[in-house]
Amino acid sequence: MKRLLDGAMGSGFVQGFCLLTLATLLSACAVSREIASPSWSPNPAYEWRLPQGFPVPRVPADNPMSAAKVELGRHLFYDKRLSLDGTASCATCHRQEFAFTDGEARAVGVTGELHPRGAMSLANVAYSVTLGWDDPHLERLEEQARIPMFNTEPVELGLAGREARLMTELRQDPRYQDLFDSAFPAINGIMELPHVLDGLAAFQRTLISGDTPFDRWLAGNEEALSPEARQGSQLFFSQRVGCFRCHRGFNLSGPADFEGAKDTEKVFLNTGLYDEDGRGAYPASNTGLHRFTGNAEDMGRFRIPTLRNVALTAPYMHDGSVGTLSEVVDIYAAGGRTDSPFKSPNVKPFQLSENEKEALLRFLESLTDLTFIRDPHFADPWQ
Amino acid sequence: MTRKCLTLLTVLFFVLSGQLWAAGSKKKEDTGDKAHAHYNRGIDLTAEGDFAGARAEFEKALEIKEEFAEAHNNLGYVLRRQGPDNFDAALNHYNRALELNSKLAEAYMYRGVLHTLAGDEAAAKKDHEALAGIDREMADQLMQVIASGEEPAGTAGLAAKWE
Repeated sequence: MKRLLDGAMGSGFVQGFCLLTLATLLSACAVSREIASPSWSPNPAYEWRLPQGFPVPRVPADNPMSAAKVELGRHLFYDKRLSLDGTASCATCHRQEFAFTDGEARAVGVTGELHPRGAMSLANVAYSVTLGWDDPHLERLEEQARIPMFNTEPVELGLAGREARLMTELRQDPRYQDLFDSAFPAINGIMELPHVLDGLAAFQRTLISGDTPFDRWLAGNEEALSPEARQGSQLFFSQRVGCFRCHRGFNLSGPADFEGAKDTEKVFLNTGLYDEDGRGAYPASNTGLHRFTGNAEDMGRFRIPTLRNVALTAPYMHDGSVGTLSEVVDIYAAGGRTDSPFKSPNVKPFQLSENEKEALLRFLESLTDLTFIRDPHFADPWQ
Repeated sequence: MTRKCLTLLTVLFFVLSGQLWAAGSKKKEDTGDKAHAHYNRGIDLTAEGDFAGARAEFEKALEIKEEFAEAHNNLGYVLRRQGPDNFDAALNHYNRALELNSKLAEAYMYRGVLHTLAGDEAAAKKDHEALAGIDREMADQLMQVIASGEEPAGTAGLAAKWE
């Protein structure tokens, strides 16, 4: 964080940064003072399958990684018994072929209810500082898993009030008896909901994507990027276009959390997508961080998603209101869709020739990880 | 009450300032070491944009203590900022810094920047790879430099001040 700010602020950076840090610190305290921080610790026993240069994800001390737990989580992730009527699982909205999104503008629950927001990609979710589009308090995958399972507004998997029935069904399945015993040897066969949540979280932490043409180019393979995509990467990371200011670092996202990470600030930005009243209002069903804080300046602020696999995750934005990457580039080149007073200063107009726009699109396409979407470690074990 | 708040904010400000300057490099007691004094003066001048003055200070630090990895790194930086004619000399100092301390993240960062600006993208990528294993966040900044081919703004990669 310090260094990024150094770059932006030149020789006066120390004083400016300190004041900004102080302001951020005080602001963050205001947002999160009632939230107990989870306890995190490394788990050296687990062998991660990490791409070159990728850091070890931070794992909560009370849910250490193990191969058995990951395998349990994979079964649960794809199990349609984890829904009201046996028609849906986590994988219904998080499909491997779409980098664990669903290809829909907004997610649809088992009762047909439409979610206000789209299903986020789970690629590299282990590095997310917060989870979901706009919740500043949601930091643990173990907690996040409860939301689609038990949420009632809207209904997603529709399991609210059906916890006992779910656990009975799982306990009766001999395959799960073995999986739970392996994953949690100390529980003596007594499976409970927290074990389900821990397993789901452990599996999701393994969904790491880092084998793209861009990664191979960065690792020294000059041929991995086409000349057009290489030109696009120059534009993406240039001061003129500046996509990297928000989609930064190895994950091309907001701040990433991992073992030893120093910059884990919770960042939510308004990209100027809506301004319904000339004062920056977003549609009432989707006000972003504002719905948690009630602060006017938080209107329309959402988490910055990773751009890894972005060519697979259309439609775009929190509500799926932008259909194609080409439209996304046009919107940002225009400095956003509106002049919302809360728009991030990072969203400012830039000029792109047609050739440059095509180059930028080729670069974004070069962020597709085919190994990831075909990896059998992440596939449906029930098939 | 207001005065107490202002005092608290002032204390926090200076505490944070110290931590930031020291980021990435361990602190050292001010023992009156002359090499460290020249080195610190060089950092101040670098922050003020006086690269020639900073160069003189880093060189004095190295005259006293040649095996001063951070001083080699920062001397490389101020040399590089004074134009391409100094690129070779800057590279020598980055190399020497890494000879002395193969874990000095800042030197991989600055050497990677130098390689990028000199057109040696392959060498810059090797520095990125090494840096990723030491300081992922600094490696992310070098990735941006390599991919854009642009001079980075600011002094990210400057080794920290000795205290």
